[in-house]
Amino acid sequence: MLRRFFDQAYLYHKGRRAAFKAEEFIFHQLGYPLVTLIFYCLIASYSFRTTNLTSWVIGNAFLLCTNACIFGLGNIFVGERYYGRLRSIIASPCAKLPLILANGLFPALFAVCASVCGFLVGAWVFGVDFSGVDLGLAALTIFCAMASAACFGLFLSVFGLMNDSMHLILNVVSYLMMIFTGAEFPVAQLPPVGQAVAQLMPLTKAIAAMNALFEPGQGSFWLLLLAELATGAAYALLARAVFGFAERSARRSGRFDMF
Amino acid sequence: MSLAVLLATMRVQMKQSFARPMFRFCLIANPILNTVLLYEMYRGSGEESFMAYVVLGAGLMGLWSCICFSSAGDINRERYSGTLALIFVAPASFPTIILGKIIGNTLLSLLTLGISLVTAAVLFRTPLMLESPLYFLFALLAAVAAFVVISSVVACLLTLSRKTELYMNCIEIPIILLCGFVFPVSVLPAAVRAVSYALSPTYAVELLRMSVWGVEEPAAFWQKLGILLGLTALYAVLSALLYRRIDRRVRVAATLEVA
Repeated sequence: MLRRFFDQAYLYHKGRRAAFKAEEFIFHQLGYPLVTLIFYCLIASYSFRTTNLTSWVIGNAFLLCTNACIFGLGNIFVGERYYGRLRSIIASPCAKLPLILANGLFPALFAVCASVCGFLVGAWVFGVDFSGVDLGLAALTIFCAMASAACFGLFLSVFGLMNDSMHLILNVVSYLMMIFTGAEFPVAQLPPVGQAVAQLMPLTKAIAAMNALFEPGQGSFWLLLLAELATGAAYALLARAVFGFAERSARRSGRFDMF
Repeated sequence: MSLAVLLATMRVQMKQSFARPMFRFCLIANPILNTVLLYEMYRGSGEESFMAYVVLGAGLMGLWSCICFSSAGDINRERYSGTLALIFVAPASFPTIILGKIIGNTLLSLLTLGISLVTAAVLFRTPLMLESPLYFLFALLAAVAAFVVISSVVACLLTLSRKTELYMNCIEIPIILLCGFVFPVSVLPAAVRAVSYALSPTYAVELLRMSVWGVEEPAAFWQKLGILLGLTALYAVLSALLYRRIDRRVRVAATLEVA
């Protein structure tokens, strides 16, 4: 069972990278996100007139997972439909969750790598100082953030069964994450409704927790981390519930798409 | 070059582009979301004329996204649809058809500037004041010409690869960063600035910004305009050479497919 899970995860990964040379794949997974991090940090340094970019490096390093978790996972069912496997997945009596999770394993690993590289590049280019930071807790925060973002990606992926405009949805969501997670500017700047939306988004609490690690006193680290995990778990449960609904609807109507 | 073919291609291209969800995202959602994001990042900057960075920046980012995800991939899209061979051997010349597509896309993409202007006026009640409208008109016309020609070069280069989607994604943010769409290029390190000044959009952005703030030194404006037109002419020659090379390669290999 476990071996099948990892075999399946590796096959998904192989399918995704088959068209690219190794250096192209690495550039796409790591190089391009790092250029994006540098871009937003440069805007912040100019617009906020500051040389202390720690908060933006943290926020954007977490957002680097967008590429893998949101676009990678969000397109799962679009990909399955494209390759003609959707029928087998919906109709087979096996559990769907391990299949979906297997699809997300490698994107989540790349997301962690991208985030770690983001912090390293941030330290190198923008002089972020890690000297007083507990690296174990920092690693734990990254792991929790990526797990939460991956759950959010899974939740979004189910909407691939309900509409044919996933590119549009995923791109809008990636911008909403930049606006509402506090990665590019403090959440306190948003109007009250915006601040409430921010608390429902993944990564908001993880970014705040990481900021608390760098500058103790900005909030309770463990409380923020638990809240981030709870957000991720809520999205995972929502994904399971919406997928179950889509699956039942597909069996009843005899159609694999709800649009 | 037939004007009727050019106009007909422009019309068809505008309809086809607007039908695609990704183009609609780049055209409508992208400038709105970028305006909100940049406004929140810039509003505490203390700079009085920051709306030029917000509105022009968001509009130009949307324009460039439209170019990246449409003009740059149009030849590949024709290949995917199986119509590349038909338009290649049609009595109307192939470059005319491609130019019509690119001009159609670029003109439609100019809507992003209007959308970001309206977004700023409606959401933030801070309209953009245009200090030198006549200079702005010159700058806009030169910018459109520059974007059409650079799109043509990029479209040619991407024709030679089957990994167009990867490269389309990878040229978006680096050009926005290098050409200073949302901050002055003086923020960049000197070595990077040398690359910026070899790219025609850098001058287009600077000219647009100068005309929004008010042209105080007309000589500087005309000098930049001259450089922009010179670079645009240079890119046009490069594009023509590339088309000729591709044409020769296609005739020798007797195929429009890529290796």
